[in-house]
Amino acid sequence: MAQRAVWLISHEPGTPLRGTVRFSRRYPTVEKRARVFNGASYVPIPEDGPFLKALLFELRLLDDDKDFVESRDSCSRINKTSVYGLLVGGEELWPVVAFLKNDMIYACVPLVEQTLSPRPPLISVSGVSQGFELLFGIQDFLYSGQKNDNELNTKLSQLPDLLLQACPFGTVLDANLQNSLDNTNFASVTQPQKQPAWKPGTYKGKPQVSISITEKVKSMQYDKQGIADTWQVVGTVTCKCDLEGIMPNVTISLSLPTNGSPLQDILVHPCVTSLDSAILTSSSIDAMDDSAFSGPYKFPFTPPLESFNLCYYTSQVPVPPILGFYQMKEEEVQLRITVNLKLHESVKNNFEFCEAHIPFFNRGPITHLEYKTSFGQLEVFREKSLLIWIIGQKFPKSMEISLSGTITFGAKSHEKQPFDPICIGETAYLKLHFRILDYTLTGCYADQHSVQVFASGKPKISAYRKLISSDYYIWNSKAPAPVTYGSLLL
Amino acid sequence: MGPLSRDVWAQRLGAFRASPSAFMAGPEAEDLGRDLLGDLRNEKLSEQTKVSLLALSLEYPAQLWPDATAAEVAATSLLDTLVLLPPRPSALRRPLLLAATTALAVGGALGPTSGASCRLLPLLLGLAAGSDLGRGFVPASEQRPLQATACECLRELESCKPGLLGGSLGLLRGLLGQEGPVQPLSLLLSLALRNTLVLQSRAGAGLGALLTARVSPTAGGPWDWALVEEGDGRLQPQAPSWPAAEEGDGERSLTARGHSPEEVRELRAAVAQLLDTSYLLTPVAQAQLLWLLGWALRGLQGQPPALFKPQLVRLLGTAQLTLLHAVLALKAAFGEALFTAQDETLLLRRITLAAQHPALPPSTHLFYLHCLLSFPENCPLGPEGEEAAPLLLGPQLCRGLLPNLLHEPTALLARLHLLCLLCAEDEEEEEKGQLPSPGHYLEELLAGLWQRAALEGGPRALATLCFQASYLVARCLAGQPTVLTPLIHGLAQLYRARPMLAPHFVDLLDQVDPELREPLKVVLRQEVVSRPGRDEALCWHLQMLARVADGDAQSATLNFLRAAAAHCTSWDLQQGLLQVCRALLRAGVGGGLVDLLQVLARQLEDPDGRDHARLYYILLAHLAGPKLGVALGPSLATPALASSLVAENQGFVAALMVQEAPALIRLSMGSHEVKGPLPVLQLLPEALEPIYSLELRFRVEGQLYAPLGAVHVPCLCPGRSARPLLLPLQPRRPAPARLDVHALYTTSTGLTCHAHLPPLFVNFADLFLPFPQPPEGAGLVFFEELWDSCLPEGAESRVWCPLGPQGLEGLVSRHLEPFVVVAQPPTSYYVAIHLPPDSKLLLRLEAALADGVPVALRTDDWAVLPLVGDYLRGLAAAV
Repeated sequence: MAQRAVWLISHEPGTPLRGTVRFSRRYPTVEKRARVFNGASYVPIPEDGPFLKALLFELRLLDDDKDFVESRDSCSRINKTSVYGLLVGGEELWPVVAFLKNDMIYACVPLVEQTLSPRPPLISVSGVSQGFELLFGIQDFLYSGQKNDNELNTKLSQLPDLLLQACPFGTVLDANLQNSLDNTNFASVTQPQKQPAWKPGTYKGKPQVSISITEKVKSMQYDKQGIADTWQVVGTVTCKCDLEGIMPNVTISLSLPTNGSPLQDILVHPCVTSLDSAILTSSSIDAMDDSAFSGPYKFPFTPPLESFNLCYYTSQVPVPPILGFYQMKEEEVQLRITVNLKLHESVKNNFEFCEAHIPFFNRGPITHLEYKTSFGQLEVFREKSLLIWIIGQKFPKSMEISLSGTITFGAKSHEKQPFDPICIGETAYLKLHFRILDYTLTGCYADQHSVQVFASGKPKISAYRKLISSDYYIWNSKAPAPVTYGSLLL
Repeated sequence: MGPLSRDVWAQRLGAFRASPSAFMAGPEAEDLGRDLLGDLRNEKLSEQTKVSLLALSLEYPAQLWPDATAAEVAATSLLDTLVLLPPRPSALRRPLLLAATTALAVGGALGPTSGASCRLLPLLLGLAAGSDLGRGFVPASEQRPLQATACECLRELESCKPGLLGGSLGLLRGLLGQEGPVQPLSLLLSLALRNTLVLQSRAGAGLGALLTARVSPTAGGPWDWALVEEGDGRLQPQAPSWPAAEEGDGERSLTARGHSPEEVRELRAAVAQLLDTSYLLTPVAQAQLLWLLGWALRGLQGQPPALFKPQLVRLLGTAQLTLLHAVLALKAAFGEALFTAQDETLLLRRITLAAQHPALPPSTHLFYLHCLLSFPENCPLGPEGEEAAPLLLGPQLCRGLLPNLLHEPTALLARLHLLCLLCAEDEEEEEKGQLPSPGHYLEELLAGLWQRAALEGGPRALATLCFQASYLVARCLAGQPTVLTPLIHGLAQLYRARPMLAPHFVDLLDQVDPELREPLKVVLRQEVVSRPGRDEALCWHLQMLARVADGDAQSATLNFLRAAAAHCTSWDLQQGLLQVCRALLRAGVGGGLVDLLQVLARQLEDPDGRDHARLYYILLAHLAGPKLGVALGPSLATPALASSLVAENQGFVAALMVQEAPALIRLSMGSHEVKGPLPVLQLLPEALEPIYSLELRFRVEGQLYAPLGAVHVPCLCPGRSARPLLLPLQPRRPAPARLDVHALYTTSTGLTCHAHLPPLFVNFADLFLPFPQPPEGAGLVFFEELWDSCLPEGAESRVWCPLGPQGLEGLVSRHLEPFVVVAQPPTSYYVAIHLPPDSKLLLRLEAALADGVPVALRTDDWAVLPLVGDYLRGLAAAV
């Protein structure tokens, strides 16, 4: 379950090496065990230079794919996980856990405690999930609350010391690096017995509990015969509990109004101590029926010091908040578009913002535009071939708005217009971006009176809610569009 | 060299980290380890700099202190530095403990006779127990962190030397029950418990006593070196064996050995104690605990895994990758004993849900998807070790896991695999519900992929993805005409739209089974030959035709080539054309090809092309079929030798360069010779093809021996037995080693090749040399003198050497004959072995019993003790 080495590599397209190793750490005691366990199939950890090159090649980040290269492009080299085999010095280093996020590549090599030939299935290697968790932890640490490159560099410079705390010998002790940072700060406090390892100290001050529910709604709308529109709500409940004592107990209940949509697919934070079986089994995999558990959803837990995600859920609301259609037709040299959007009457008509982005891919810049809109303003980004329809804070009384127009494009230039493999010809979409505060689509809320806290002092309890759009697509109904299997279920 | 300043160190560490190998090859390499140890006590350097020095030693101890002696010296120095720290808080104590532990573990110096080990181990155990070590050794503010660190160090040592803490189980349990820090002690105890259970099933020590004995950490120490020796060199896998990995590996699983009721009660209490507090551990540590305990209890009689049950609901509710993975490990370890059919369904549904939950990152989805296809089922049906959809995972459960065109390539392929598995089942069962048919969905998805790959100007990654998907479908659904027919049709359309993908098609044809390959070849050939010869994509058509042309549809192919010849104006097009001719020649096409070659030999502009065409014409006209095949050979280089300038140049370059090649030689070890002052390995070379001027180069890993000279062989032929090659070894330490072997040789076609051969392993016994034979009758005196000279610096031990059916006499004559100094067959043998460079090993084998003989042994080199133990125990089995 240990790691042989960990790397952090920044992906830098356009530079000679396409990347730089920002951090690396090797674990020689684990390496010694790898040599014994792997026997004749042992491949040593390479130095940073060769590793960087091999990893970028494997991840297709060297942008030199003009020619067919068998070791990369062969149809039989199929990778179905984020775990790779890297060719280094004629031998294959496996398993390399790696993923790219925000132009940073996170990578590690878990110890496999047996021979590597034949290759054991990944599921049997305990170090793989441990490696992922460590890399996710590093990613969270680097990007939580980080605003600019300077802060990133400061955090990167803290990594060696933090990993010395969180993973001194290659076996991860705590994937939450913020805890390790706090640990150094709390070191002078004599920790009493039964202090959880995930809570480096205790809080001193005014007791307060804050609960915020964020729901994201995504949708794929086609306006077509034979293809069903789909939509889904994904909720995240974030808590920050400032409570005195080593292990204060808190129970938060999420409730739904009578016509609310049941929560499903609930995943909880590891600090939750017990779960009702109805919570564990309510799942979107099953066909919905009226008997679905509709709460209240109780979560008893002992909070960590920092802000954390108490639980995630999904929900299938009966209708999408905004239903729309988008029609686009090529007419000789110009495109004719018609958009219609309708806000459902049950949705709170008070947006922080609401916009429809209408991009045109694989075409040149917009040279000419004529349009008519029933509501809101249209912004034109000619070079980006993008229209943004700013709807604003409220839909009109009719709840229905429309936009129509014709657009002409100039010649396509390859550098400025990246290739889009989906939106070819008339296949096109518009994407909605909106946010509504103090509102959830499911109706889910945390009742302040139902929050139970077993700790000294009466805490101040505050609760927040918001709804955000995410991946809210409305496809051109006059052309083929990519469908999911779920859309074929009618 | 005097103390170095902070800046000099920063520069030096930077240079080292940039490329450790380059630095170690440079002039500063030798002093680095020594300077580092010295400057840790330099009062002018800041603690920050010293921490960075220690950080380097934590990562690269093998480079700084390459052998056991140097590691021992380094660890001693690090411990001295630790003791000398003034009694105020310091950032150095923790890294110093880590560094000393790392140096001993990596350098191989850890052992009962190492001075540093004997200082470090009691210190660690004392710190872990929170005892007062006196003299203000640990400032109060550092007590807690150092206690945790000491536990981590002990855990690492126990990982590297399983069984070491076998005698401390009771003590650790006691600490966990009292005031000790929960996580470090829980992890340490569970690892020690696991290792003890595994080893003790062989050693036969009493478990109950170990679990309850409270040894005081300050007394002589509870180190169980005997148990370590039992498990030495055989590190235990920490994972429960998975069904797929279990085959033929019975030795690793715990032999179900009967425990007394008290032992069972104590064990159960210890495990329950660990599980009860597991909630206090971080999620990654909880997962480690579960893997370890799962492994510890697996296969143990009278230990129902029900102890784990209370934890499972809590774990199943989380999104944490490590925790669900650990639950899967428990599932694999205990199966039905822990998970009823209903529990199994629930677990499967939670994994299915996690594999698509929008709140989790994509790489987590992919891992869960892998877990689904490798799910350890209670009652698996399919062949083991192959990915398959679990029985309970029907189309209804999977519908959110199916691919669509918006997915990233990796996710698309992973989900496509699942879809293919569903299609295969669908075909078998013909069970149609209200769900759309997976086969139909697959067809639409593939059509979308082909369409995307066909886009003019699209990136290669899209084409690669499309061919990977086609390959995956062909592999999973071979033999299903309803899938293969549209697949072939779609690929043909793709080729028509974008011939520049020809290399992908050639690759696909090379990889797939004949079921797809043959019909696809026919269709693609038709695609090519039905075109006029003057296509822009002519070079791709020719490349394609060279792969798909055969004896069928000759006239169409030849017509196309005749038409194309007029447009082959450049050298590479002409070469492409000739490649097709060559393919036809090999396929045995006669008639029309003769005419075409004659035309080409006259008509082509390029002299090289004309030469080729003429050569093929001559071959075709004069050689019968089988001979033609030989003449064209499997290699493209052969006709190049017969061609003019350009090709000649290519051949010339090839002849000058060293080619990387697969190994055409096999090396095996011959019998062991014990003559002369040095151990000599006998190597038996065997060639698969005739090779000349062979040079074998050897490199010893870890610099255990002096560099080895190369061995030269003028000529090796397959089937002819060669003389054994002698490779003298000059050990710097008496230790087994791995030899890297490279071969440089010339082939019969005149190319010089370089190949990497599989490594050779030098065993401990390969190093044995006899002492000079003492005069007749003086043997006993000679042996006693050697025996006495080993102490006090050396070590003494007793080992049980199992005997096979051949008895003591047979064992000695087979393995130890050359080294026997005094023999009283069949009961007593005194054996003296010289271990180069300058160590000795003395064995007394006396008073044999039916199944084994006690061996008293002495050596002046304590480091060889574990090797001797392994060797003696392995003898009976080695017959």
